[in-house]
Amino acid sequence: MSPVHGSSASENPGADTALIRMQEISKHYEMGSQIVRALDGINVEIGLGDWVSFIGSSGSGKSTFLNILGCLDRPSGGEYFLNGVYVEELGPNQLAEIRNREIGFIFQSFNLLPRATALGNVMQPLVYRRISYRQRREMAMEALRRVRLDDRMDHLPNQLSGGQRQRVAIARALVTEPSILLADEPTGNLDSRTSAEIMQLFDQLHREGQTLILVTHEEDVAGLGDRVIELLDGKIIRDRRAGEPLH
Amino acid sequence: MFYVILESTRSALISIFAHGLRSFLTTLGIVIGVASVIAVVSLTQGMSAFIGESFSSLGSNSLTIQSYTPIAEQMRGVRARLTPEDLELIERRGEGIASITPILYANRTSQVRYAAQTTFSQIMGTTYAYRDVSQSYVELGRFIAESDNLTRRRVTVIGEKVREDLGLPENPVNEYVELGGEWFKVIGLLETKGDIMGFSQDDIVLVPYSTMQSLQGNQARTDIQIQLSLSEEAEVENVTRQLSAMLRNAHDLGPDEDDDFVINTAEQLMATFDTIINMVTLVIGGIVSISLLVGGIGIMNIMLVSVTERTREIGICKAIGAKRHHILAQFLIEAMLLSLLGGLIGLALGFGLGTAISSSIESFPPASIPMWAIALALGFSGFVGVLFGILPAAKAANLDPIDALRYE
Repeated sequence: MSPVHGSSASENPGADTALIRMQEISKHYEMGSQIVRALDGINVEIGLGDWVSFIGSSGSGKSTFLNILGCLDRPSGGEYFLNGVYVEELGPNQLAEIRNREIGFIFQSFNLLPRATALGNVMQPLVYRRISYRQRREMAMEALRRVRLDDRMDHLPNQLSGGQRQRVAIARALVTEPSILLADEPTGNLDSRTSAEIMQLFDQLHREGQTLILVTHEEDVAGLGDRVIELLDGKIIRDRRAGEPLH
Repeated sequence: MFYVILESTRSALISIFAHGLRSFLTTLGIVIGVASVIAVVSLTQGMSAFIGESFSSLGSNSLTIQSYTPIAEQMRGVRARLTPEDLELIERRGEGIASITPILYANRTSQVRYAAQTTFSQIMGTTYAYRDVSQSYVELGRFIAESDNLTRRRVTVIGEKVREDLGLPENPVNEYVELGGEWFKVIGLLETKGDIMGFSQDDIVLVPYSTMQSLQGNQARTDIQIQLSLSEEAEVENVTRQLSAMLRNAHDLGPDEDDDFVINTAEQLMATFDTIINMVTLVIGGIVSISLLVGGIGIMNIMLVSVTERTREIGICKAIGAKRHHILAQFLIEAMLLSLLGGLIGLALGFGLGTAISSSIESFPPASIPMWAIALALGFSGFVGVLFGILPAAKAANLDPIDALRYE
């Protein structure tokens, strides 16, 4: 098993503490009489400004890991610190607040609110921060500008192409200025040209200092980051720098 | 808190209007419920207001004294009476009385005939004072005079309905009608007074009191009614108490015997009608408000469907930071607004319905909605929305974000 891979100061000067630190994280489900170990002793550290890809086939524990990382779920065992906060002691409402403050989700199926316009979707997370309508609107417009979608603000999701929808989702994730962008197969529903555009956008965000975590099963998507962590059967089997040969 | 309510209201309104037809159908139960409650209340309250007006035109400061025999006493053949002596006593000793008149009802037949036409009416023997006491004025001819009474003249003053029923000419003065086998000359026609609760006040035949007495064979112990009106400064209660004491004394009633007479005021009569109408309002309103409950169940039903339908949306909102109370408030306020909007539509509809009914039925008083009914209808529909919104909203708020996101 791979040891903890610390954030390297050479890549990100100024990032001296880890943004994410997981120790011996495990998640067990009971399926009838059987206990399924979806995660089994995960140790990982991710620093500020890193771009880390988690890769694994289906059933490798990827989704479970993503849920725990994104504070949607709590592990059965182990310790998880996110930006210095010990996540496991938090209740559902506090987890909701952490998700709102620290994490920007980007999903494979975009998960936009169907009845809200692009602008409305981007404004939505700010509603939970008690920000006034006018300010929300301004912040959302700025975020849409960052993903170069300011000309489609008043469109409903079903009036947008897949790539545009994903960019709305990215704007929604960015608008709260989260410490982590957490993307789950962000290009899974997109054609290769649009995928390339989205990955280019990620690259740009990374260069602007945004911490990125990608969960994917596509090697070429994973390879664009700094670091690739391979999962299999709930364990980390390899933690390597991107571009290193597989074997 | 205010912020959450404001934002939830915003998104609830978007959601309600996004599904316009469905929202309308959902709230239809409330619309119908509130509309029927308001229609019923507006009709009965309109009637109540109308009755109030009619009674005040009747002379609100008049008193009626009648003999009263309990049924059990009647079975034993006992009959309480008010006698001309009682009248005399009150005339002599009563205080605060502006005018007083006896009324003697025809006891044999109340048949009235003119030429080949006969009808039945209320034939009353009374004096000139009846005019002031009951505020009945003549339109044509003259009223009964004191001299008519003294000389027992066979003259009569009739109401408009009697004139119509008998086919008398427009001006019936100087025509002769037959009352109880005797011919009476019509000397006056009363002004029209209209109906109270379907009883015509114009179906009336007045003759001089003494004439009526003589027609009844000058019985020594006749049972009369006494009507009197109070002077401006007199208090109804004081006069009532005084009259009661006087009559008890005259009738030799012991301290533990009940009154053998009743004193009615127009106000009492009005209060009785009011009580009846309020009871009717309450009962019908109560029955109809069950439909509000049914409407509430309809809202709950659709809200539950809506929660299931929007499971994924709820998951998204939770993922991007919605707390339990955000989701709860959103669905609760949506249910409440839905119900309130239904209440508002129902209010307008009910008022329209009440007005339509009251104007389509002739002689029905115009509808009126009291403020309390509006407040109650809106309050109740909002309450129904909250009550039946709690379950769906709690269901939505308690969804697990992971399951909700996975929901297809």
